[in-house]
Amino acid sequence: MRQKTDVKQGTLALMILKTLEVLGPLHGYGIARRIEQISGDLLSVNQGTLYPVLLRLEQEGAIESDWGASENNRRARYYRLTRQGRRELQSEVEGWHQTTEIMARFLSAKTEDLS
Amino acid sequence: MKRLKRLWRRTVNFAVGRTGDRRLREEMDEHVALQTEENIRAGMAADEARRQALLKIGPVEALRESYHAEEGLPKIETVLQDSSYALRMLGKSPVFTAIAVITLALGIGANTTIFSFLDAVMLRSLPAKDPQRLVKLGAEDWNGITDSYACTELYSYPFYRQFQRTNQVFSDTAAIFSLTNDAHGFIDNRSESEPIKVQMVSGTYFQTLGVPAALGRVINENDDSTEGNHAVVVISNAFWKRRLGRDPSLLNHKIKLGKTVFGIVGVAPSEFFGTTVGVAPDAWAPLSMTESIPPGWTGRKENFSESLYILGRLKPGITMQEATANVNVVFPQILHSFPDAKLTPDNLASLARAHVQLESMARGLSYLRLSYSEPLKVLMVIVALVLLIACANLANLLLARSTARARELALRNALGAGRMRIIRQLLTESLVLALAGGFLGIAFASLASRILLRMISSGQHAVPLDVSLNVRLLAFTFAVTVCTALLFGTLPSLRATRLQPADSLHGGRGSSVLGARTPIAKTLVISQVAISLVLMMAACLFLRTLVNLHRADTGFSRENVLRLDIDSTVTGYKDNDPRLKELFRQIEERVRALPGVQAASFSAFTFNEGSWNTSIVVPDMPLDLRANIKHNIVGNDYFNVMKIPLIAGRSFGPEDTSASQHVAIISEHMARMLFPAGSPIGRTYKIGDPNDFETVREEQVIGVVKDVKFGGVTEQTQYLDYLPYSQRDWGFGDFEVRYTSSFGETSRDVQQAIHQIDRTLPIENVTTLDQQVAASYGDQMVIARLSAFFGFIAVFLSSIGLYGIMSYLVSRRTSEIGVRMALGADRSVVGWQVIREVSIWILVGIAVGLPITLEGGRLVGKMLYGLSGSDPSSLAAAAFVLLAAGLIAGYLPARRAARVDPVVALRCE
Repeated sequence: MRQKTDVKQGTLALMILKTLEVLGPLHGYGIARRIEQISGDLLSVNQGTLYPVLLRLEQEGAIESDWGASENNRRARYYRLTRQGRRELQSEVEGWHQTTEIMARFLSAKTEDLS
Repeated sequence: MKRLKRLWRRTVNFAVGRTGDRRLREEMDEHVALQTEENIRAGMAADEARRQALLKIGPVEALRESYHAEEGLPKIETVLQDSSYALRMLGKSPVFTAIAVITLALGIGANTTIFSFLDAVMLRSLPAKDPQRLVKLGAEDWNGITDSYACTELYSYPFYRQFQRTNQVFSDTAAIFSLTNDAHGFIDNRSESEPIKVQMVSGTYFQTLGVPAALGRVINENDDSTEGNHAVVVISNAFWKRRLGRDPSLLNHKIKLGKTVFGIVGVAPSEFFGTTVGVAPDAWAPLSMTESIPPGWTGRKENFSESLYILGRLKPGITMQEATANVNVVFPQILHSFPDAKLTPDNLASLARAHVQLESMARGLSYLRLSYSEPLKVLMVIVALVLLIACANLANLLLARSTARARELALRNALGAGRMRIIRQLLTESLVLALAGGFLGIAFASLASRILLRMISSGQHAVPLDVSLNVRLLAFTFAVTVCTALLFGTLPSLRATRLQPADSLHGGRGSSVLGARTPIAKTLVISQVAISLVLMMAACLFLRTLVNLHRADTGFSRENVLRLDIDSTVTGYKDNDPRLKELFRQIEERVRALPGVQAASFSAFTFNEGSWNTSIVVPDMPLDLRANIKHNIVGNDYFNVMKIPLIAGRSFGPEDTSASQHVAIISEHMARMLFPAGSPIGRTYKIGDPNDFETVREEQVIGVVKDVKFGGVTEQTQYLDYLPYSQRDWGFGDFEVRYTSSFGETSRDVQQAIHQIDRTLPIENVTTLDQQVAASYGDQMVIARLSAFFGFIAVFLSSIGLYGIMSYLVSRRTSEIGVRMALGADRSVVGWQVIREVSIWILVGIAVGLPITLEGGRLVGKMLYGLSGSDPSSLAAAAFVLLAAGLIAGYLPARRAARVDPVVALRCE
């Protein structure tokens, strides 16, 4: 059995922002579902932990929320990326790319490269 | 920016108590519902689908908590929770809480009170612009008028003017008359005169201080330009409020002082009390009007009539050293430029010696500071020690409580509260107690400072000193409160949380509890006793000093003498006017004729009222310019009033008139030291030094009287002589009456008699001679009373501490005592053992406190009179009081121990 990886809070926030960027306004369940799909069930999240993170992002002004109707026509809270959130996402993504690139290069280095 | 935004949201949430609890629940319900549907679509049974959905979302309670933590300000919430819990716990034991809060209120209040005086007298800056840049010429705060050459403390008006022009270090220079004129004047056309305290200042005074008028204008340079024709005053805000009812049209009001009517040109700001702390003038007048304001000092034009303080504002960038250097260059130059300087060898020598010291005026002048600095510092230490004792008591109480609460704490611990969490809870309780004590203490302090202000005021009016609450005082009190809480709260909370939960939950009487608590409690009690010894010793020393001062021989009889001041300047007569002398004579005669009055006399001085002093020239004796003779101008009955025995010759009588030979009566000490051997009767001498006789008149000695104290109880024997007012002019002063009836009756009759002769004469400071003498050591009285008060509080608190721990120990040992009694121990022996234990603790405390006490005694040695700081009888008394109080405290538990019923005690176990 493949081991499932825990997520750090910061990465979870980034995933949420990215999800909202790609899919537009979404409720909590939709976000959780999407993250699960993309990570290919590699990620085990207590899905509830999403909500405190959503709250923090909202307090920071990266996302907004409002009540709306869900697929089965009940009340659900929809989250939407703000312009500030978009900017933040962009810089975070760049930072993340840089880090992974460096790490990838570093980890693929051969003995002769390091000597 | 991001964080700020978030903090703001959280603070708002916290403040309005908004919670997203409902929103979260709704969101999660929806989440679970959606997931369930999804699961059903995937083929699960309905029940299973919901179960899986719930599993996936995770533990709901933990989630709610972390959601909540994101939402508000959890730390502050904890503090509030702790506080409300603390309030509940304290409310459960009202007696403990009341005792603790009152003890703390007394301790903190006393500290606040003394600090408010310390602050007002010694620390606070003048209410002027940039007070740090203000300096004064001369370091000792003399006051008066002198004609000595090269005086570096007081300056003449011509000197001030030249100095203002020639110095290069001050941007502004001002002069202040060193005496305040306690005049009486008439406001508008009112017929009753009012006391008006006038401070004469140069035209630059307000400008130098940077103080603008609150209304109208301040005195300016033009008001001080020509002598005698600028009858204007600036009045204080308090006077404006008190006498003019804050009437904004100042031009409608006039003040008549002496013969001159003064216009009111402005009102000073309310916080401005002048430049002397503890003296708040009612009005400021320009120096140009010196002669018009009673008592009408003269000498403004004279180069060597030195009566002014000079102060200046340092130019930007000029240091104190540079200023001192420049002033000392300018000083001799100005003196040399005076053509009337008497360049005798003595004067030249004193000029060569003269060095003008500069002193910061940031805190202003103060006579209070001179006499009260030391007492206030000592009192500050005393109240701090009292607070320390109170803290020890509370720590002991809390220790006892924490033992009682051991089960509660253990339970909390078992339920998962960490040690830090419990310590924080206990400290919060201490802090809540301390804050309650602090609040009550501030209320207590505002009352106490009024009492203390009354105590340091010698006259009828309270010293104008602002000791009201201010930010600085509140900050001080708050700091003291927090320190107090930490002091008495830390130890018990650390101790309380060291318990093993298992032990405590088990029996609540584990042996570890008892063993752990008593050594700390004992140490606390012993240190209380040690500190109490220090305070009790201080009380004994200062009380004995006070008794010594009371008993000191002043040479005159203090009892049954009424004294009052009249201000004869309101009559408008000059000092040498025969009508004035006739007025004095009439008053003396009328009062002397009153029933119950033995003698009555005017005098220039009685006791501790300053002096007029000069050197004298006695034929056939070497000239001694350093011998300062203090002159008193008196009525014929003076020696009878004061009961100063005549040793030789005769007293003044009606035969001594302005036309007859000028006569004088001299003191014994003066006769012995300054006159040739043999009787001085019939010999003559001249007042003043040979360089500047004011007149060529000679005084002939007609009598010798016993020495008396003149300036203070503790002073060395002085040279004193007495001149009759029939021959020497003197404007106003003291009136003394020796009576046989009661003070109240005499006071009423005397004032009536004076007003029958002249209705307008203001009468002030009606008191007894005894009180006047006592007022001269008012600082000693204050410190003796307060140190005694706090000494007894300290002993009382320590006794409570002793009682507390003894009762605790007895109740702990009930079973042990029961066993011993059952085995045949005598009741009295058991009681004695308790008493013995208390005595040992007290003795240990005394032994510990002894070196501190002796060191403390050495430090206050200079403030004592007639005994040393290590006075053995004071020490014995202090130790005795402590022991007695301690034994009383130990008696009750001892009695309880002796009454233990062995059967009951053993059944208890």
